[in-house]
Amino acid sequence: MRIVSIAAAALLAGVMTGLSGGAFAQERTVKITGFGAKSGVVRVFGVNSEAAMKAAAEEINKAGGVTLGDGTKAKLSVEFLDDRCNAEEGISVIRRIASTDAFVAIGPTCSNVAESLFGILQKKVGDASDSGLQFPVFADVAAKGGLAAISEWAFRNVPSELEMYKSLFAWLKREHPDLKTIYGGVEKDFAHSNATYGVMKKQAEENGFQLLGTGEWLLNDTNFSTQVREMRRANPEIVAISAHPFTTCGVLREMDRQGVKPKLLIGLTSSSSIETLQGCAKQAEGIIIPTSFAPVTPEAKAAAENVSKQGGSMDLHSAAAYEIMFILKDVIESQKIMAKPDTVQADRTKMRQGLAALKETKGLLGKVGRTNDREAIKPYLYVYAKDGSWQVLHKPSS
Amino acid sequence: MDLLDLIDAVQSVADGVLFGSTYALLGIGFTLIFGVMHKINLSYAAASIGAAYGSLLLLSGFTAAPAIVVFMAAALCGGVIGALVYFIGFKFIPVANPLATLMSTVGLLLLIDEIIVHTTEGVPLAYPALYSDVVVRFGQFMLRGDLMFVFVLGCACMVLFLLLLYRTRLGIATRAVSQQPIASQLCGISILQVNVLTFVVTGMLGGIAGAMSGAAIGMLSPLLAQPLTVKGLIVTVIGGLGSIPGAIIAGLIVGGLESLFQFLRGVTERDLYIMMLLFAFLVFRPGGIFAKASGRD
Repeated sequence: MRIVSIAAAALLAGVMTGLSGGAFAQERTVKITGFGAKSGVVRVFGVNSEAAMKAAAEEINKAGGVTLGDGTKAKLSVEFLDDRCNAEEGISVIRRIASTDAFVAIGPTCSNVAESLFGILQKKVGDASDSGLQFPVFADVAAKGGLAAISEWAFRNVPSELEMYKSLFAWLKREHPDLKTIYGGVEKDFAHSNATYGVMKKQAEENGFQLLGTGEWLLNDTNFSTQVREMRRANPEIVAISAHPFTTCGVLREMDRQGVKPKLLIGLTSSSSIETLQGCAKQAEGIIIPTSFAPVTPEAKAAAENVSKQGGSMDLHSAAAYEIMFILKDVIESQKIMAKPDTVQADRTKMRQGLAALKETKGLLGKVGRTNDREAIKPYLYVYAKDGSWQVLHKPSS
Repeated sequence: MDLLDLIDAVQSVADGVLFGSTYALLGIGFTLIFGVMHKINLSYAAASIGAAYGSLLLLSGFTAAPAIVVFMAAALCGGVIGALVYFIGFKFIPVANPLATLMSTVGLLLLIDEIIVHTTEGVPLAYPALYSDVVVRFGQFMLRGDLMFVFVLGCACMVLFLLLLYRTRLGIATRAVSQQPIASQLCGISILQVNVLTFVVTGMLGGIAGAMSGAAIGMLSPLLAQPLTVKGLIVTVIGGLGSIPGAIIAGLIVGGLESLFQFLRGVTERDLYIMMLLFAFLVFRPGGIFAKASGRD
C-alpha cells in the first residue's frame, strides 16, 4: 500500500511538473522593441508605428503566437522607445536595446537617424576587424533611398520612391500627353523631401516634361507668397510638391489665394496621410500621390481598423511596421530562434541570416520582393484627394 | 530688374510687412516683460502658439465658431497661460539669479512645445481665418485680405495696449515698477500684482499674435514655436530691449526684410541677412532703433 502511495505521489508530482512546465512554456513572451520619434513635431510617425506593431502583435497572439526553436509557443509583446528623431538619441537607444536580450529592433522613423545608426552597425558580417554592433535593425519609416546598403545588419521595408515616381511620371506621360511643363516645390531643409524632390525632378525630365523652375522653402516656414508668385509667373501645367503636410498645405493655400491652378498636382509620399486632409482638404483636392498603402484589400482594411483601435493611423509608413511584425514571426519560426538569455547572440545571427535570405514577403497590398541589398520592392498605387478622403486613382501593378 | 521683378519685390515687402505685425506683437510681449522685470521670457512665443491651440480646444464643442470668437478665446487662453508662466517660471525663482529665470523659461518653452505635441501628436490643425478669400488687386499688385485683417488687428491691439500703458492706473503702475521698483513699493504699488498683470496682458497679446499667425498660415503646428521665438527675440533686440515703439517698428521691418531677402536671395540665404542685421544692431546700435548711437570701446 505504501509503495502504491509513493508511486501515486510520484506520478502526480510528475504530472504536475509536466503541467507546470507546459503552462510555463505557454506563458513565454518575446518582446519586440521598436523605436522612433515619439516626441517633437514628427511624433505622429512613432505613435502610428507603435500602434501598428501592437495591432500586428495582437493579431499574431490571437492566432496562437509564435513557435520558438525549442517548440514552445510564445506571445509577442511590444515595447517602443523614443529617439526624438535625433541621430545621437537614436544611437543611444539602439545601444540600449542591444544591451538587453532583444534579438532584433524595428525602426527608426527618421532617415537622419537611420543613416547615422546604420553607420555604427558592423558593415560586413564576419569581418573580425570591424567592431561595429552586430544587431539586426529593420527600418519601417526612414524613407531616404539606399540606406540599408550601409550595413549588412540593416534591413528596410520601405517603398522605393525611385520606382514609384518613375512609374508615376511614365504614367502621366501616357495618360496626359497634352501636359508638357512642370514646376517643383521642395522643403529644402528636410532630408526626405529634398532627396525625393531630386527623384521627382529627374523622372519628370526623363519623361520629357519641361521643368520651369523650383520654389524652395523650409520645414517651418509660414509665408510662401514669393515662391508661389514665381510659380504663377511660370504658369506650369503640373506642380509637384515634395514637402510634408504643414508646408504642403501652406503652399496649396497660397496657390489658391494667388489663383495658381495647375492642371495636375503631385505630392510627396508622406503627404498621402490624414494630416494633409485635416489641414487643407479643399486646396489639396485632386493631388496625386504614389503610396504603398491604401485600404483596398480585405487584409489592409482589417489592419487599418486594428491600428485605429490601438490609437494610431495606418498609412504607408505604419503599414510597413505592421508587415515587419509578421515577417519577424516567420523568421523566428523558420530560423528556430530560441529567445533565451543564453542564446542572444546566436539568435541575432539567425535573425540576420533569416532576414537576408528572404526573397519575398507578404505585404498588405500583395507580395513584397526583397533585394540583395536588403531593401523592399513593395507594390504601390496612386491615390488622389477627393472630397476630403484618399481615393485610389490607379494600380500600376494590376 | 524689369518692371515685373520690381512689382514682385514691392509685393514681397508688402506681404512681409503685413505678416510682420505678428512679429511686432510678439516683440511687444518680450520687451514689456523685460521692461518690467528685466528678464527675458523665452517661452513667450511657445505660450502664444499654445494659446492659439487652447482656443481651438476651448471651442472644440462648438461647430465652426466664428474666427473672431476664436481670436478672443486665444487672447483669453494667452492670459491664463501668461499667469501660469509667471507662477511656474518666475515667481519662485531667486530674483538675484537672472540666469535661473532664463533657464526656467527655456524649460517652459520645451514643456509647452511638448504638451502641444503630445496633445495633437504633432499633427497640424486647420485654424480659421477672416477674409482668407479676399484679395485686393491693383493691376499686378495684390494684397491678401486675411493679412490686411491681421495687420489691422495687430495695429488695433498695439494702440489698445499703448492706451492701457499710458492712460490707465495699471499702465502707470507697470511703468513705475519698471523704472523704480523700490519707490513704487513705497508708494503702495504691489509688485506681485503688477508682475502678474503684466504676464496676463502680454499673454493676451501673445495669444492674439499666435492666433494671427495661425490665421495667416491657415494652420497651427508646433513647428511655429521655434521660428517665432527667434523672430520675437530679433525684433526685441532691433527695437531695443524695453522699447515698445521700437518693437512695433522692428516687427514690421523684420517682416518686410525677411520677405525681401527671400525674393532677392532665396530661402537658403534669407535668414543669414536677418541675422547679420541683428549683429549689426548689437554692434552699432545695441540700444535698438530709437536709441542714441553709442560709442565703442
